[in-house]
Amino acid sequence: MPIKRKRGGAVHHLNFGVMTILGLLFFSHIPALAHKVYIYAWLEGDTVYTESYFGAKKKVKQGLIHVFDLSGQRLLEGRTNEKGEFSFKPPLLTDLRIVVEAGMGHRGEFVLKAEKSSVHLGLETIQDVTGEGNRISSDPVSTDEMQIRMIVEQALDARLKPVIRELVEIRKEKGPGFIEIIGGIGYILGFMGLILYFKSRDKAGRQ
Amino acid sequence: MHISEGLLSAPVLIAGAAMAVSGTAIGYRKLNYERIPQVAVLSAAFFIATLVHVPIGPSNVHLILNGLMGLLLGWVAFPAILVGLLLQVVLFQYGGLTSLGVNTVVMALPAVACFYMFRAGVRNEKTAICLFSAFLCGFISVLLGSVLVALALVFTGEAFLAAAKVIVIAHVPIMIIEGIISAACIRFLKKVKPEILEVIYAD
Repeated sequence: MPIKRKRGGAVHHLNFGVMTILGLLFFSHIPALAHKVYIYAWLEGDTVYTESYFGAKKKVKQGLIHVFDLSGQRLLEGRTNEKGEFSFKPPLLTDLRIVVEAGMGHRGEFVLKAEKSSVHLGLETIQDVTGEGNRISSDPVSTDEMQIRMIVEQALDARLKPVIRELVEIRKEKGPGFIEIIGGIGYILGFMGLILYFKSRDKAGRQ
Repeated sequence: MHISEGLLSAPVLIAGAAMAVSGTAIGYRKLNYERIPQVAVLSAAFFIATLVHVPIGPSNVHLILNGLMGLLLGWVAFPAILVGLLLQVVLFQYGGLTSLGVNTVVMALPAVACFYMFRAGVRNEKTAICLFSAFLCGFISVLLGSVLVALALVFTGEAFLAAAKVIVIAHVPIMIIEGIISAACIRFLKKVKPEILEVIYAD
């Protein structure tokens, strides 16, 4: 019996030690994350902007960007700059799958839906690519009207820029929050309970 | 050290999954009833450790704690790491479900290897030898893990030596930090309850 008590005590002390480490790790945890790479893309005017990052402050520098359509055909590729940014003019108005490869097995992707982005595109582009709205494009549009339309577009773009930027910041994935972390620990305790239950039944069955 | 989904070829993924299943089965069989809470606590420590970001050098590195887990759990590190990684995939989207097997092997295999390499050293009565073994355990487990990541990536077209070099260099700071953490933990355990390590290695 004394041996048994010793084992229990040892395990208790080990748990205490590990709990301390766990607590230290938990409270020292910084929101900047390491090993998931995020990419976010949005459209401004006729240009798609992308931003690739590991965490709040860590950007993907010189990461390889591939742009595909949803059928998997590669449209273009490029590299991010020092701020993790890469922008391009999409050759087609279609859903885009934008993939970033940051090396060492890090890969992230983002799908930019055409119907969302087309809101910001000039009317001409939509008509040209989708073939819809032939009625408008076949109508003789006066140069004045075209110019007014372009000026309005530009003014709107300039006005909406900060709003779009703010939306981008809000919609970016931020990494795990407090709830996910606590939830994960809860799951582990749940698994522990399950395994204890099954092992104790084995034990009881053997006795 | 979490390899994302969609990078590795099918043979690598299948081989990784098969090795992870075998390792987990061995670990589960070695899991004593009394040690289950301890394994769960270490699994939780592993689950959280990857959130600790070390802002050293040009790369993004994070704690792994696989050396310490190997030292304290042996083969049981396999199921403990698998559970931690599974939850990281499901809750944080780190790595991926298909690459879960490969990622488990990348972190748990060095843990088991280090258990066999350093358990004698850690039990040594001389504190210096014990602490140095624990440090090496933390250091080498990350080194081996980095080499395994490079090995898995070879089949994606990255040249092994070039990839290994980049990954190993990026992880040097974390190797040192893990070494220090492992040594500190072992020192703590030896002080508080020296027979604890005997209990672990008696299995």
